[in-house]
Amino acid sequence: MSYKKVERMTSFMRVNHWIVAICMVAAVITGLYIGHPYYQSFIADPAATKYVMAWNRWIHFMAAIIFDVSSIVVAYLYFFSRFEKAYKKLIPTLTNIKEFGAVLFNLLTLNRVKKFDSSHADSFNAVFFFIFHMMLVWMLLTGLQLYVHGLGSGLSAIGEWWPAMLHLATDWTVAVTGGTFMDVRISHHYTMYAILVWVMFHVYYQIWRTIFWSEGDIGIVVSGTKFVKE
Amino acid sequence: MVERREALAKMFSAKGVKVDTNRGEEYYDSLMKTMTKRLDELEKSPAASRASIQNLLESEGVTRRDFMKWASATCAALMLPSSFTPLIAQAAELMNRVPIIWLELQDCAGNSEAILRSDAPTIDELLLEIISLEFHETLMVAAGHQAEGQLANAMETFKGKYLCVVEGSIPMGAGKEWCTVGAKGETFEEHLRHVAKDAAALVAVGTCATFGGVPAASPNPTGAVGVQDVITGKPIINIPACPANPANITGTILHFVLTGQVPELDHLNRPKFDFGYRIHDNCERRAHFDAGEFVEEWGDKGAQNNFCLYKMGCKGPMTFNNCSIVRYNEGVNWPIGAGHGCIGCSEPQFWDKYAQERPMADTHFKAPTGGVEKSVDEFGLGLLTAAGIGIGIHAVSSIIAGKKEGDE
Repeated sequence: MSYKKVERMTSFMRVNHWIVAICMVAAVITGLYIGHPYYQSFIADPAATKYVMAWNRWIHFMAAIIFDVSSIVVAYLYFFSRFEKAYKKLIPTLTNIKEFGAVLFNLLTLNRVKKFDSSHADSFNAVFFFIFHMMLVWMLLTGLQLYVHGLGSGLSAIGEWWPAMLHLATDWTVAVTGGTFMDVRISHHYTMYAILVWVMFHVYYQIWRTIFWSEGDIGIVVSGTKFVKE
Repeated sequence: MVERREALAKMFSAKGVKVDTNRGEEYYDSLMKTMTKRLDELEKSPAASRASIQNLLESEGVTRRDFMKWASATCAALMLPSSFTPLIAQAAELMNRVPIIWLELQDCAGNSEAILRSDAPTIDELLLEIISLEFHETLMVAAGHQAEGQLANAMETFKGKYLCVVEGSIPMGAGKEWCTVGAKGETFEEHLRHVAKDAAALVAVGTCATFGGVPAASPNPTGAVGVQDVITGKPIINIPACPANPANITGTILHFVLTGQVPELDHLNRPKFDFGYRIHDNCERRAHFDAGEFVEEWGDKGAQNNFCLYKMGCKGPMTFNNCSIVRYNEGVNWPIGAGHGCIGCSEPQFWDKYAQERPMADTHFKAPTGGVEKSVDEFGLGLLTAAGIGIGIHAVSSIIAGKKEGDE
């Protein structure tokens, strides 16, 4: 039996994947500290110079802004990628629904039934990633809403348009989550846990595929390629 | 570059908390004219109350110099240029021309108490003594039909001119008929609607009157709501906080005396000149927050060294009010200065969502569906555990199933 090599992720997609992964780890570690500072700063310096919370927030915001830029690029690629346009797998056509069902069935039957072509991105994964991207958008909007509270003066280093734009783009999240700034915070925190659950399943599913499909799926995110039986 | 930035700024200007403090000479000239005209008219009208600020200040031992200092500080607080200071002083002297009807609904009378019981009344508080208080349920001597007669009389005399100040929430749910006022047994809702009908504007004072406050806390047995949820079609100014700062009440009434209009309001109908500031940004303990120096428990070393109260549940980072600048009792102190975190009392639903002595991540909130209260972290860890168990079961059964396949 011979194997054929197929390309599944371009080099940009792989780089993006790892940047997002690192940002997420950084955002979770620092975000948990912001929500509940879980270690003491035993540095002898006076308060004016040690900036433990300030550095945590700095890292959190930097991770967030890289995340945000990456999300915008990914949103663009959904429609205009020259490699694979993800939106095509999201439209609920009969083919896509069938494929989604077949992949889910494969997972639920513990790989005893596998009736779909696993050489290209499938509908199940497309939907799964779409949920992830929606959660990221939600984190972006709620996060920027919490961030703009610190710009109450209406000023920022890059001009007044920035807080004004953030108010315009994110003020609705207050109403949607329950009417108070605290609700936005609670939602931001809950969504982190939802994302962590997503990540757990994502990592598990990739390893599971690699073991049970025997097509080298785990290598996609490193080399960009996997192998399918000819 | 600057022009492009300004063009962008125009494109995206939303209604934030920002107040434009420099609107150009033309704007302030016309404002000055409007205010002078309004004050002249007020001066000609008969004083509704005989108390005058001069006599009162004299009897309290406040000098004219102190009064003018207060006028310039208030001028700054209202975000007006210093040339308006004489007008502020004049307006203070004319405050006895604006009739006020003060309603006491479902609350603890804490806002009235905060003003009345102060040890050394500030000029803000003294001013509230000279306003023409036509009717105040808690303070007035009259009762029953006599009190109602007074109310009817005031409403008739000052029709369309009086300010209706409301303290306390309005029960709208089941059992609302248990809260009644007067000999006719009006419910609070009927009473408020009745008085609001002919008011020039409504001022909701304290968090109960603005957002329902403590009576509206979960499970809100009386269906308590704020004034803005009952009255429509009238200008409503919200001055939340528990209790509302007398400086903010006076500032708002003064603004009304000066202009006859409602001040610029934020998205919760709070005057921007009072609520355009975040507690956290003007907090004296802010450096300790950025440094990661927190009070871990009451009375520890951190508490003795004035460390940040965030881990004791301070909600300064999500609360908008000017306490950290104006403070209470003539600037003597305020909650965070006294060693307790902010409980977010000027925000909606503060009792359920803000007033806990722990950070948000550890606070037990009622789940949206009701039921057992859980902290966000507990819920999240439960979610992660459930996902882990699910994955574990799938992994183990896959291995067993996979082996079977190999055996065949």
